[in-house]
Order: sequence, then structure tokens, then C-alpha cells
Amino acid sequence: MTNLIDQPRYVCALGAMQTVSSIERAVPILHAGPGCGAKLSLGMTEGNGGQGSGYISYHIFPSSNISEKEVIFGGEKRLKETIENALKVIDADFFVVLTGCVSEIVGDDVQEVVKSFANAGKPVIYAETAGFKGNNLIGHELVINAIIEQYLKPASVVDKLVNIWATVPAHDAFWYGNLIHLEKLISEIGLIPNTIFGPRKGLKTIDKIPQASFNLLISPWVGLKNVELLKQKFGTPYLHYPVLPIGPQETGNFLRTVAQFGGISPSIVEAVIKKHEDEYYYFIERAADTFLETRSIARRFVTIADSHYALAVSRFLVNDMGLFPAKQFVIDGIPEEYKESVSNLFLKYNHGIQAEVEFSSDGQDVQEQIRKTNYYGRPLILGSIWEKVLAKELMGHYIGISMPVSQRLILDRSYVGYDGALRLLEDIYSVVLETSI
Amino acid sequence: MAKHIKQIAIYGKGGIGKSTTTSNLSAALSKAGYKVMQFGCDPKSDSTNTLRGGKYIPTVLDTLREENVVKAHEVIFEGFNGVYCVESGGPAPGVGCAGRGIITAVQLFKQQKVFEELDLDFVIYDVLGDVVCGGFAVPIREGIAEHVFTVSSSDFMALYAANNLFKGIQKYSNSGGALLGGVIANSVNAPYAREIIDDFVKLTSTKVVEYIPRSVTVTQSELQGKTTIEAFPDSPQAKIYTSLASKIAQHTDSKSPSPMDVKELREWAAKWADLLLSYENGELRVEAHGNI
Repeated sequence: MTNLIDQPRYVCALGAMQTVSSIERAVPILHAGPGCGAKLSLGMTEGNGGQGSGYISYHIFPSSNISEKEVIFGGEKRLKETIENALKVIDADFFVVLTGCVSEIVGDDVQEVVKSFANAGKPVIYAETAGFKGNNLIGHELVINAIIEQYLKPASVVDKLVNIWATVPAHDAFWYGNLIHLEKLISEIGLIPNTIFGPRKGLKTIDKIPQASFNLLISPWVGLKNVELLKQKFGTPYLHYPVLPIGPQETGNFLRTVAQFGGISPSIVEAVIKKHEDEYYYFIERAADTFLETRSIARRFVTIADSHYALAVSRFLVNDMGLFPAKQFVIDGIPEEYKESVSNLFLKYNHGIQAEVEFSSDGQDVQEQIRKTNYYGRPLILGSIWEKVLAKELMGHYIGISMPVSQRLILDRSYVGYDGALRLLEDIYSVVLETSI
Repeated sequence: MAKHIKQIAIYGKGGIGKSTTTSNLSAALSKAGYKVMQFGCDPKSDSTNTLRGGKYIPTVLDTLREENVVKAHEVIFEGFNGVYCVESGGPAPGVGCAGRGIITAVQLFKQQKVFEELDLDFVIYDVLGDVVCGGFAVPIREGIAEHVFTVSSSDFMALYAANNLFKGIQKYSNSGGALLGGVIANSVNAPYAREIIDDFVKLTSTKVVEYIPRSVTVTQSELQGKTTIEAFPDSPQAKIYTSLASKIAQHTDSKSPSPMDVKELREWAAKWADLLLSYENGELRVEAHGNI
């Protein structure tokens, strides 16, 4: 029986229009019913860290707005018109047609329509992102695969060039800051990072993807299908590092792993790590009394987050901050095939500490379980906007980290690396200290 | 480099003998030493019955209904002489969306690269007679089948269906989709049947690949749940299917047909109706119509 899911924490695959939108001067063309574009984008952007507007924002995404007529007679003609007109009126570099549920049920041959724009002067590709294929994270993978399959051309490999694939744009409100911090870390150890999302990237960095000497995927599962396809198509090897590194323990391990894979000398990496750790621990020492004397924070915490953040934040809080993980909730609709490998990652904290993990998309059920859990003090709850009310009810300390993050404005903030860990501590302890006054 | 897998789609009006012809074609190809998969794209899911002793097999969509993920090899069953049999299946009549079912089943196989793994020489899609919606056109889109053959008798409605199919092929032929290999003329027993089909293929710029007479041997075989190739391998009918298989194995270049528009088709049919009437009335002897 189908249950009603309370409190959505992702949208459908068509939400991948935000992946396209995060590529500078790229525009998604929706072959979907009216409303799909605005509703999905609102949830992913304006309701999530204050994102959403920009040069080509969702307010102007072209859409075929198909209705009953196109369902009965097929929507190919309407799509063709929509693409033709989009090419005329939108000054963009890259057009990605995305199909929604209705056009895919009807069986429109989008490939044929898109192919007729082969000589349009600007690249037009398509991805089949019907909502019934899965959520926006799956949609993100479908869009990246479409770029790989339909746009990229083989190129000669550039030594030390590394494509970085991390958290999913828009879905993760911190995506931009994360990429900036990851690029910086990768550069410091002597590799050349290449990323495709955000300002000053766009097609020129997409074109470099096949030149990379390896792909670096920093994600528990999202993106695996992309790096596998890149390996298959261009023979580019990939390093799958499943944990978004936050704090010295994970970041040190991350840098050493990447360096080893990329053939970087240990002495270079160790020097980078030492410099960062010195700086990081200076602040930890300075705030040590605050950490130790603030007794209002419980020693147990809970994350209700996508697999990226549930894993990354809990690793930091356990391994660097000495907190204990209560049951962790992963709410990103992870596909069955990855559940085992991802749940195993929650068994590998330092000192043999393990966390129970539950994969669930049902907010009400998750919150019911949290209500029944004893956190031995005010619980530290790291979740989405949906947990804000719960935290009030439980007198907990609350911080929003996972979609939807509607109560925060997030610009370039990131919790990645050494600096990111300091920001996370600031954010957590600002909440904790406020309640203690 | 991976070997080229010849992918063929067989279309035609419902009840015209597509599954019978396709199953005998698959059986004959496999006897000729080729590795063959027959992919039934019909919600009735009975395309491969005569390759499997008259037994139904679990379909892709039945399996998908039970499980979230379907591994292709769970729905592939070996039939006569090692022919791999797959049925896409579909929803119960009157509910759901069979067209989407075909899309899902075909894409599931395409994604899993099963054809390469099984080292196939031929994949033959046996598609529901009426191309009623986008889903049923999937086997002739780019990247699936390259060659389409249509099974037709000399009946006007069967040729009407074939002509409609040609329109579909013409549409896809500009975009890398399948092209027409030719017509498999089925149930050509009446002396004028061959002439009608020959005239039709001439006007639509295609050809007849094989003439297959209606035969009681086929009925006898099917009542045993077998193809004629299996049940009566030495029969004249089996020889015809073997000849069809050999022609299809050698077939390389398909073409875009030139279907008639509705008016042309009606006038053409009316011309033949008058002629047939004149045969019956004895105004024109059958042997005398060779130059028509």
C-alpha cells in the first residue's frame, strides 16, 4: 500500500532543471505540463537557502506547457516550436531539453526532435527526467549523463587535471561554497581542479571534462553512474571518496587519499595538512573552554539529512568533536542498490563507534522516533526546515543543513574542509549559546 | 570492436500471422547457427509461445510489478534450440498504459547491455499490430531496430495497416530510425493474392521478401505448441521459413518506403475490387490478368 509521505525533502527527477540552471549560460527547456517548472524550482531554490534568481532563472525557463491536446496528438510539434523560440529569445550557450511525466507516458520521440536542432549553432541536448524515474538526485545524474553522452567529445588528457563532482547544485544549498573549498584544497596539493557549476565555468569547463586525468567523486552515491559512464566513454579513471570532508580527521584522510590516487608526494600533502591543522586547532584551543563548559548541549545528536550531510556532519561531530551519534536518518530516497554500502559508512567512526542508520523519506515517522529517543539533554538536531518545529517542541538545538533549508540565506557558506568545520562549529555553538543565556 | 547485432522489428495488422512468422523466423535463424532473441512487444504476451511448447513466460512488466528493480536475465527464457524469449507484457486490458510499458521494457534491456552480454546475432521485436501510440513506435526509433519487416496478407485492411506503418517508418527514417526491409507476404494462396501484394509494394517503393502460403501444417504445429520449424522440419512450409530466414540474414540495406495517402490507397483498393469482381463474374480470366 502507498503511504502518504509527510514533509517532502526532495522533488522529482525533473528538478534536475536546477542542475542545468547551475551551469552558467545554460537553460533547461521543459517538455512538461504547466506548473512543473515553478513548483519544483520553488522547493529547491527559494525555499532552500534563498537561491533561485539569476540571469536565467526558473521564472523564465521555457516550457512546452503541454495539455490534453498534446497528450492525445503527441507533443513533438509543440516541443519543436518551444525549442525554436527558446533559441530565438534566450541568449544562452547551452540548451537542455528535459521531459516530464506526461510527455514520456505519451511517448514523444524527444531524441528525434532534439536531433533536428543539430545545426542550430548552439548545443541542444535532452535528458529524460520524468518524475516517475525517481527524485531530483536521480534526475541530476540523468542530466550529467546526457551531457556526457550527447555533448562531450574525446580529448587528450591533461596531467593533474581533476574533475570534481560533489554535492548536487540547488538541492544542496551549500553546493557553491563546497565546490570552492574543494577546488582550493585540491589546488593546494598540486592538482588542477575542474568544476562545471557556478559563475565563470559553463561550457568552457564542461569541454575540459574529457581532458581530466581522473574524476573525483565526493558523494556517498549520487554521481556514481556519471563517473562510471566517463570511465566507459573516455577511459578516465575515477576516485570515489564517499564522505564530504568536514574537519581535520576526514579532510586529512581525504587529502591523503586523493594525493595517493593522483600521484602527489606525501611530503606535499603533509605540509598542507599541517598548515591547516595548526590554524584549525588554534581556534579549537581558543574556544575549548566554551566547548567544555557549555553543558546545555547534549552529548548525543541526530541528523535528518541527505546521505551527503548525514554522513559528513556525523563523521565530524563524532571524530572531531567527541559527540555520540544517536540513530541517524537518511532521507534522500537512496536507491536500493546503494543502501548497503552507504549504511556501512555509518559503522566506521573512530574508536569503533557505530551509528544506527535508517533510510526513510517519511518525516512524520522520523520525527515520531526522535520524540521517543532520549538524547540525555537538549538534543542537537541537524536537519531541514521541517525539524525546526520539532526542535522547539523538544527544546533542542537546531540547525538546518539539508533540503529544504528555508530559514537560512546561504550564499557561499560551506562546511567543507578545515574552514568549513570552523563555520559549522560557529553555527552550532551560536545556537547552543543563545539557548544557554 | 563488438560485433554488430542485427535488430529487426516485425510489424503488421493484428491476427495476420506476425507471431507465427516471427517465431518460425527465430527458430530457422537459430537452426542456421545464429544466436537469436525474440522480444514480444505485445501486452497479450504470446509472441514466443510456440518457441516454448505453448507455455507463457513471466513478462518484464509482470516482474516489474512485483519488484522495483528487474534484472534482464530474470525475464529471459530459453526456448527451442536456444532461442532467447522475452515478453514485454503489459497492463491488464483496459487499464494502465501499454505504450509506456513497451518503452519501459525495451529501455530496461537497452540500458543493461544484455544483447552484448549474450553475444547475440539477432534481436527480433514482434510488435503489436496497431501502432496506436508513441510507445509502440519505440522499436523503430533510433538505437533500437534498424530493419522493419511487415507481415501482410492481400486483404485490404492488412495492406492499409502496412501502409500506415510505412508512414511511421518514413517519419523516423529522417532521424536515424529503422528503415523498411520489405513485406513478408502471408497467406498468399488465392491466385490474385500475390498480384495484389506485388502491386502494393511496387507503388510504395518496397519489395516482397518472401511469399508464405497459408498451410495446415502451421495450424498442426501450433496446436502442439511448436513452430513449424520444430514440429515439421522437413515440410515444404518449414523450407519457406528457412528461405525467409536466409534472406533476412543476408539482408543489409533497408529503405525508406513511399506510403500512399488515404485517397490514393482507396482508389487503388477500388481498382482491385473491380478487378476481383470481374474475375468472379468470369469477365476476366485469372490467367489473363498478368499484365495488370
